[in-house]
Amino acid sequence: MSNTLVWTFAERCAGARAVEDVRRLFLREVDALGFPYVACASHVDPLRPPPEAVTMLKYPQPWVEHFSIENLAKRDPVFLTAQRQLLPFRWRDRGFRKTLTADQLAILDLAAEAGLADGFTIPLHSPGALPASCSLVFGPDGVDPLNIQNAHWCAVYAHEAARRILREQPFGDRNRLSAREREALEYVARGKGDYAIGVLMGIQESSAHNTVQRAMRKLGVATRVQAVVRAMAEGEILLHDVAH
Amino acid sequence: MIHIVTAENRRHFHHALMEMHRQRKAVFIDELKWRLDEQAGLEIDSYDSADAIYLIESDAPRAPVGASARLLPTTQPHLLGEVFSHLCSETPPTGPSVWEATRFCPAPETPKGAPRHHMLGRIIAGIMETALLFGIERVTFVANAALGPLAANAGWDARALGPKHGRGRERLRAFVAEIDAAGLRRVRARHGITGPLIRFIPGALAHAA
Repeated sequence: MSNTLVWTFAERCAGARAVEDVRRLFLREVDALGFPYVACASHVDPLRPPPEAVTMLKYPQPWVEHFSIENLAKRDPVFLTAQRQLLPFRWRDRGFRKTLTADQLAILDLAAEAGLADGFTIPLHSPGALPASCSLVFGPDGVDPLNIQNAHWCAVYAHEAARRILREQPFGDRNRLSAREREALEYVARGKGDYAIGVLMGIQESSAHNTVQRAMRKLGVATRVQAVVRAMAEGEILLHDVAH
Repeated sequence: MIHIVTAENRRHFHHALMEMHRQRKAVFIDELKWRLDEQAGLEIDSYDSADAIYLIESDAPRAPVGASARLLPTTQPHLLGEVFSHLCSETPPTGPSVWEATRFCPAPETPKGAPRHHMLGRIIAGIMETALLFGIERVTFVANAALGPLAANAGWDARALGPKHGRGRERLRAFVAEIDAAGLRRVRARHGITGPLIRFIPGALAHAA
């Protein structure tokens, strides 16, 4: 596949209006690249995904069920490694395997028995998104090594396209925070109370209090701690901006 | 035997190509510390494409890989033209009858010394046989201080294209080798090779089998 085809794929993803369209485009592309199985998904229970999760799967069904029943999303060494690094890794790679415990190697052995013996995983990191990755499986005929990079591009575009569409869908009556509400929550995250927030923002203490309360209502939470956590999870405030 | 892998038949060599890129990562990045990109444990660069011709030594398309090399047409982007042109005192030879040989890679577990030396001899014989088959008259290559003298004195008619550049193990020099039947005979005699090494499994034929 040439770069032109990757761009065509990216354009089609950008034009997609439904997650199902992205899923179909992606699975077809991956199939054309020669991968029999693929899981491009948020690191969640694949059979009970939360609404904001991306799940573009073509995986052996018994393994998906086992994964769900055993709650492997919390323990899968592939997921845990993908959450810690940016570069793709092959499951057979000695550098990857030597970091694993016996329990974790046992999970990989079971996956191999289910038809997932050789393949690699592309970590997918996107601000505010659930941790995610794309695992691609080499079948018995193998895969052209030149297609690995193409698959990497496709996974990144498809995941971003699915995220964009999911973000555009209203989950309940969630309002975006205003700039002042975000700023106030950033001070909350830095441990400031209403008085300090008022001074820092040049407003009355009572106005600072009301701004934080309004943000909490919009986020649908009852405490300031919850508000900070939720605002971070939704990408309203960034860890980077409040950590120092 | 040494398999010729081209755009036509590479789909029958997915395993061997994957293993070749894995070995290249182990040898060039892990062992020799070349600063190259890797992806999923494979060393693949921008010159790797379906247009490149790979020589892969293995008993069968799915048997273990013993060694590999890459041949690039010099009518397309290649290393001596873009990355190593400073190694040439004259204009580097290019054209439809010139190939560039790069990424000679022994399997990482190959013992150093004589086994690797003979492996290089077999790959050079394979390069010459393939070049003769494709009507190629000259092959250019860049070699470091360790590989250069071995490759230049393998029996083919090779000469340097310029002085050595750099320091230590990464002291590089560019060469061009003439491809002819007499040179091939000398390479075979020097490395105890009794007959042709290359095999070409055509795409369609292998598919039918």
